[in-house]
Amino acid sequence: MDDYAVELDNVTAVYEGERIPALYGITLAVDYGNIVAIVGPNGAGKTTLLEVINGLLPVTTGTVRALGEEVSPSSHRLRQRIAYLPQDLFFDPSTPFLAYDVVLMGRFAQLGVFRFPGHSDRAVVRDALRAVGVEDLARRPIGRLSGGQQRKVLLARVIARRPKLLLLDEPMANLDPQAKEELSRLILRIHAELSLTTIFVSHEPGPLLNAADRVVTVVAGRIASDALNSPVLLRV
Amino acid sequence: MTVFGIPVHIFLPTLIGSLLAGALCSTMGIFVVRMNLSSLGFAMSHAAFAGAALGIAVSGLDPLLLAILFAVAMAAVLGPLSELSRLNADTIIGAIFPLMMALGLIFLSIAPSAGIGSGALSLLWGSILGITMRDVVKLGILGGIMLLTLFAFGKEFFALLLDRKLATASGINARIYYYVILFLTALVVAFSLRITGGLLIYTLMILPAAAAYQLAYDIKKVFFIAPGLGALAALMGFLLSLGFDLPIGSSIAIAATTNFLLAIIISPKRRRLHSIGPILPN
Repeated sequence: MDDYAVELDNVTAVYEGERIPALYGITLAVDYGNIVAIVGPNGAGKTTLLEVINGLLPVTTGTVRALGEEVSPSSHRLRQRIAYLPQDLFFDPSTPFLAYDVVLMGRFAQLGVFRFPGHSDRAVVRDALRAVGVEDLARRPIGRLSGGQQRKVLLARVIARRPKLLLLDEPMANLDPQAKEELSRLILRIHAELSLTTIFVSHEPGPLLNAADRVVTVVAGRIASDALNSPVLLRV
Repeated sequence: MTVFGIPVHIFLPTLIGSLLAGALCSTMGIFVVRMNLSSLGFAMSHAAFAGAALGIAVSGLDPLLLAILFAVAMAAVLGPLSELSRLNADTIIGAIFPLMMALGLIFLSIAPSAGIGSGALSLLWGSILGITMRDVVKLGILGGIMLLTLFAFGKEFFALLLDRKLATASGINARIYYYVILFLTALVVAFSLRITGGLLIYTLMILPAAAAYQLAYDIKKVFFIAPGLGALAALMGFLLSLGFDLPIGSSIAIAATTNFLLAIIISPKRRRLHSIGPILPN
């Protein structure tokens, strides 16, 4: 096992067709089991940082390692151990998938090609839905659920995947205060029960941000500060 | 023996071919509609038309083979282009449609007159008499390949249909499956070209799938409803064409459009949207 769950060494990343890097010389190491909050203004590079960590965006210079392996866009097997919830992932009412199927699909990559989900996979999905309290929504179309319910289904998908690293991009965006509180506590429970390393982008005050071990502030593609969490820091 | 005044050896291949083309096109339409590939499908169908026209213009060349080559080449070029440069749909259509139509019409204008009489117009509008049992067998083989591919990689395709980025993030090599979808779509377009014609094959791909999405919340049901509606549109178009002596491609397009409008009217999604009002984010 590597010393760190995630390690970025002098990483610069540029989006296709753009000249200005979205990230400049980022160096960051995250211990196993930690919860790390990424904060910063809009357009600072927070989402880019998550996409570089799971290899959705290739780095221009530097190296990224996650769970002991070097990360690149072709790291498909590694990504099977990383759960990533993108920003603004919201299924519209016409989405032709049931909540149950969305969770089951989380296991597809791990099954491999030519193999189909069996009884054990279905049992895992049922347990995951029950764990986040949405088992009664299993047969409903995902697009007919509220934003908070959709996030819970996606967290059930995380549980069903049994990842080692959890990346969340603005998980509480567009939810009402009660749903934010509920979701924060759910994420913390999943983090603890699955022994995850969790990195999330969020500005929302609440249990999740309070529980972060570290708060990394990204400004204009660079790390402006990287500090242990404290109530003083969270008020800034 | 005749059916509707047409010898049965002509009637049967046309009927079976139409049903098969309807089912195959609308099955690929499920991907085209959901993954917003309409512009690529549109470009591919016109590329297939231009390729087939070249095959007619130059003796010794196989129109079907050239239709396949043009459509696949279009998929191979436009797939990465649309991904990398994030071209929007209007740009792709604006650039490709006139070019392919122009090439197709130039090829037809230089075709020998015998060639024009036998197949050129069927490439544009489709032909009720131009389908042989050999074409039907080819469509059947393509259908078999398509079914096997969909079955073998079904779960990966489902993951892409839900959300391509989520599929990639979960460890699925989405790019490979995306190209398999484009390749299959190109093949289906090229093989079905003779039935509906290059100008209207697009309707058989899009409308039944769009109608199926109106009628079902479960993607597994969509995969049964869409081919059924595609085959139904083809059958209705076939009968309309026979009954009123109309071009089969146009008749199928009218039938598919009628079915689509009916699906919108009876759609449970539409009813529920009206009944609950605007969807709130949480």
